[in-house]
Amino acid sequence: MTGVVEAAGISKWYGEVLGLNGFSASFGPGITGLVGPNGAGKSTLFKLLIGQLHPDQGTLRLLGENPWNNVPVKRRLGYCPEHNTLYGWLTGQQFVEALLRLDGMPRSQAEKAAEDALKLVGLSSAAQRPTRTYSRGMRQRAKLAQALAHRPEILILDEPLSGADPLARVQILRTISEFAKAGGHVLMSTHVLYEIERVTNNIVLINNGKAIASGDIRSIRALIDEHPHAVRLETPQPRQLAQALARMDHIVSLEIPEDEALLIRTRKPDAFYRELPAIVADTRLEVRSLESPDDSLDAVFRYLVG
Amino acid sequence: MALLSAVPLILAVGLAAARVASFDVLQLFQAVMVPLFLQVVLIFVTLVNATSLIREEIDDNTLPFLLTRPISKPAIATYKYLGYLAAVLILLVPPLVVAYGVTEAYGGLSFTTDLDVLGGFLLVTVLGSAAYGGLFLFISVLVRKPLAVGLLIGFVWESIVGSIPGDVPKLSVIHYLRTILKGTITVSPLAGYRTDLSVATAVGILIAFSIAMVILTIAVFQQMEFRQKA
Repeated sequence: MTGVVEAAGISKWYGEVLGLNGFSASFGPGITGLVGPNGAGKSTLFKLLIGQLHPDQGTLRLLGENPWNNVPVKRRLGYCPEHNTLYGWLTGQQFVEALLRLDGMPRSQAEKAAEDALKLVGLSSAAQRPTRTYSRGMRQRAKLAQALAHRPEILILDEPLSGADPLARVQILRTISEFAKAGGHVLMSTHVLYEIERVTNNIVLINNGKAIASGDIRSIRALIDEHPHAVRLETPQPRQLAQALARMDHIVSLEIPEDEALLIRTRKPDAFYRELPAIVADTRLEVRSLESPDDSLDAVFRYLVG
Repeated sequence: MALLSAVPLILAVGLAAARVASFDVLQLFQAVMVPLFLQVVLIFVTLVNATSLIREEIDDNTLPFLLTRPISKPAIATYKYLGYLAAVLILLVPPLVVAYGVTEAYGGLSFTTDLDVLGGFLLVTVLGSAAYGGLFLFISVLVRKPLAVGLLIGFVWESIVGSIPGDVPKLSVIHYLRTILKGTITVSPLAGYRTDLSVATAVGILIAFSIAMVILTIAVFQQMEFRQKA
């Protein structure tokens, strides 16, 4: 086990409900996105990583250590929970400062570190306001500030962009990127795929409590090549084009989702892209545009989870 | 909560305002304070405060902020309990002292005349807060609805246990608190209360009980898992 986070055969039950089902993955340095739909097991994995839960089966290591009831490892991690509840009676400054004091930081040092962290996430102007008056985006930034303020080695961020407004999203993503550039590790979850793509190509896809793919987006794309690859063509003559393309032996299906569109699924995308121009030229059919839904991470995910 | 804590003071001022005959005002104060303060105010204030210490953090989803700091769960539980004890005593003790002072002043007596009464009530306030706090804190890590269970124990069991014959009353906190009041106050409304324990034994049992409850709380809390509420 050499990764920042190593999970081997982790299972976690909530009574009869399975939260994680033999989850195995290795999360490397830098930013890693944990991507999956709601209920996939992302939050369960994070709760296991911060020692809020312990696995029923399997082995889990965070920075080389078992996180369950492990106090020293907590000094090395910063956690941003999914829920937006803060201690509403505290101001943003007091909130971050109080948590830093629990790290054993002296008062003056905690005050300065809290100020710096709030500035980093763009909350300086609201630092003296009670957090109960914060918008969801501001709460997300306050949570990020408390996670960052003690300069941890790894940030574990559970849906850090959920409910954040565009300005907050930019600020949060910028902060995460800067933290990683400075040598920190980030593990962040989301069920909105394009959010991850903006900060990393390194992802782990999770569904039904299992890691279904992991690694660089390109290596995941290689996995896709084993699955039918979708291409959408905009054409005024979809039926004629479908007839022409049906000759290709690697075509799996042809579908006309709209009047002027054709959706093709092929087992050999390289061959398809090579042969398509010739077929279009020979048949003199008009093709206005071509796009592959598979170019987005969203499509990758859809493929892998079926 | 503050209003409830001020019941002793309200009671004393009420007695004074009602112009109760001064010769028995202190006895009347005591007689009313036992059922009202001991069986209602003390139990309710400790119940609400102690059950919310950890359970509220779980229900509000704020516990992860504490659990991801380099501080152990036993330390979290212990500091929370000590904080609870300080907060509850700040709530309960001043009104009690002022109420006693008002009562004495109304009777034309100096503050130090009946210090045994003040001392007895202060002792049961401190020990009762510690014991009930430990008990309700322990319940709060055992069950999801600690307030309901605490209400049953605090207001049903603790109320009826005194009238059960034999050694059964020894299975309540209030038995030891009554024993202390009986033993520390010279002319106590609990003079006829049946107990075979000395004040020192009752104090020792309550201290041991409080410590045991906190240790049990820590043991359960240490192994507890926390599923955030959706």
